[in-house]
Amino acid sequence: MALARYIGRKVAWTLVVFVVALLLNFLLPRLIPGNPVDTIVGQLAQGGGAGGEQLQQIHEQYMKEFGLDKPMWQQFFIYVGNVFQGDLGTSFAQYPASVNTLIAQALPWSIAIMLPAIIVGWIVGNLLGAVAAFKGGWLDRGAFIGSLFLSSVPPFALAIILLFLVAVKGGILPVGGAYSFGLTPEFSLAFFGDAITYWWLPFWSLVLVYIGGQAVGMRSMAIYELGSDYVNYNRGLGVKEGHTVRYIFRNAMLPQFTGLALSIAALITGGLITELVFSYPGLGSLLFAAIGQNDYPVISAITLLITIAVLIANLAADILTGFIDPRIRAVQSGER
Amino acid sequence: MGTLVNAENIRGVYYTEGKDVVAVNDVSIKIEEGEVLGLAGESGSGKTTLGSIISLIARPPLHVEEGTLEIDGQVQELGGHAKIPRTWRGAVVSMLPQGAMNSISPTKRIRQLVYDVMRSHESKISKEEALDRARERLTTLGLPARVLDAYPHQLSGGMKQRTVTIISTLLNPRLLVADEPTSALDVTSQKILIEMLLEMLEKRIMSGVIFVTHDLPVLRTAANRIAVMYQGKIVELGPTEIVVERPEHPYTQALMSSVLAPEPAYANTRIEGMSSFDRSLFDAPAVFH
Repeated sequence: MALARYIGRKVAWTLVVFVVALLLNFLLPRLIPGNPVDTIVGQLAQGGGAGGEQLQQIHEQYMKEFGLDKPMWQQFFIYVGNVFQGDLGTSFAQYPASVNTLIAQALPWSIAIMLPAIIVGWIVGNLLGAVAAFKGGWLDRGAFIGSLFLSSVPPFALAIILLFLVAVKGGILPVGGAYSFGLTPEFSLAFFGDAITYWWLPFWSLVLVYIGGQAVGMRSMAIYELGSDYVNYNRGLGVKEGHTVRYIFRNAMLPQFTGLALSIAALITGGLITELVFSYPGLGSLLFAAIGQNDYPVISAITLLITIAVLIANLAADILTGFIDPRIRAVQSGER
Repeated sequence: MGTLVNAENIRGVYYTEGKDVVAVNDVSIKIEEGEVLGLAGESGSGKTTLGSIISLIARPPLHVEEGTLEIDGQVQELGGHAKIPRTWRGAVVSMLPQGAMNSISPTKRIRQLVYDVMRSHESKISKEEALDRARERLTTLGLPARVLDAYPHQLSGGMKQRTVTIISTLLNPRLLVADEPTSALDVTSQKILIEMLLEMLEKRIMSGVIFVTHDLPVLRTAANRIAVMYQGKIVELGPTEIVVERPEHPYTQALMSSVLAPEPAYANTRIEGMSSFDRSLFDAPAVFH
């Protein structure tokens, strides 16, 4: 019962944040100076072939088509209505492609890099930090300095270094893109074998940074727990170290879950920029192009996706922390 | 009634940067079968250090340079790099920690700790059997069996301290070293805890208790004998009434006169201040009644 109430509260808060995020997602791209139709019509005028009056007509036509002639609040409600029907709109810059199609093409590439990076980075980072704290000595010093270095490098900088060393100088892996020229994405072993050579570098640039950050956090938490009273008491009772280690891990894990949720936004942003470095055809490249062209629907759609991902991650972390720590559950549901 | 524990020539030193601090200086002490031995003294006198050496949990920066512990004819070397078997802890000598508040991991239920303690010593024990035994012990000593299902934060301070006391003695240790077990409790809870300890002793759950505390009134009710420590040495040792009412060592006299609710003999005397280290106290010969 307490748990259900705890989860209910968390879900309700997530929904409130989602509504606010939806409004900001709509508003922020539209606050960028300039008008997408001006850009499109400007390009037409440069190409020649259309007179002033025709351009005027095309301009009005586009304004109407995109709904930009309506007041902002009406646009917002149309946008919200469409979003809830799963329609993210039509791209301005790549007219008449629908945003859904563009995202569907880009999203799998981004997920393919980021999801494994988050999972592998979190697990390896925490294990490394915990082992370093237990073993101490040279292993600890080496792991700590290495992790500290990795966690303070921005992913895109590491991406550039890896790109230069492994792809440009070493020539071991391809320089950019997601698959070889001439292939089309399909579910076949041959395509997978090709695509994975392009996948390694962006993946490593993310996962290394992430392992570093997690290891540094876990190490200090584990060292702190090692000195706590319950570890001493367990020792005094002759409890096997193997059992006590589980107590320590569980307690040290708590802030790591919260940290995971908090850092997921940073990891996604880092991933988007890393995609640019490797010209990887994911959301990052799509977003970057869209910002350059004032393509409101695409920008809004991608930021909305990121918002949802971050919100879900936070919700999941909150619920997991509640499961692991009875005190948090008790405080949140108002029980003891 | 024979001797239960014979601890001899214990020397405990804190290796700190700059200089080494000798906290326990060549102390020998015997605990008789069935008795509560009070270990009193001011902060820094070495009583907690002696307690943790005897309960076999000394760890850096504390180093045991010398000492042996004899229980039931078995002699365990404590000094240097002596290997102390893990199973001695908890089953032969057990500890009751100072302030039980943080002694149980906040994210584990009591029953998990109970099970882990039992199976660390009896690898074949089933979870049911371990919990059954704990349940029986709890009810014998007047605690509800449902504390097993609680998390530490769900228990009150007094309840938590009593629960920890029971966990400490689950394996029927020969000796229990209780380090300031009553310090964080109100007077009522203190009384209940001491009565419980005495009941456990009577039931032979453990055969002897070392009660480390600076709280002299508590020792007066709980201890059969009292050892007074000062500057890493035992300066006076004897039956409770004698040490409390007719102490002979100047430090013990000063300590007794500083109790706020003094013995009648001191009720009308002026409280003398004490410097932190008094050479004359240190040089005075130890008194063993």
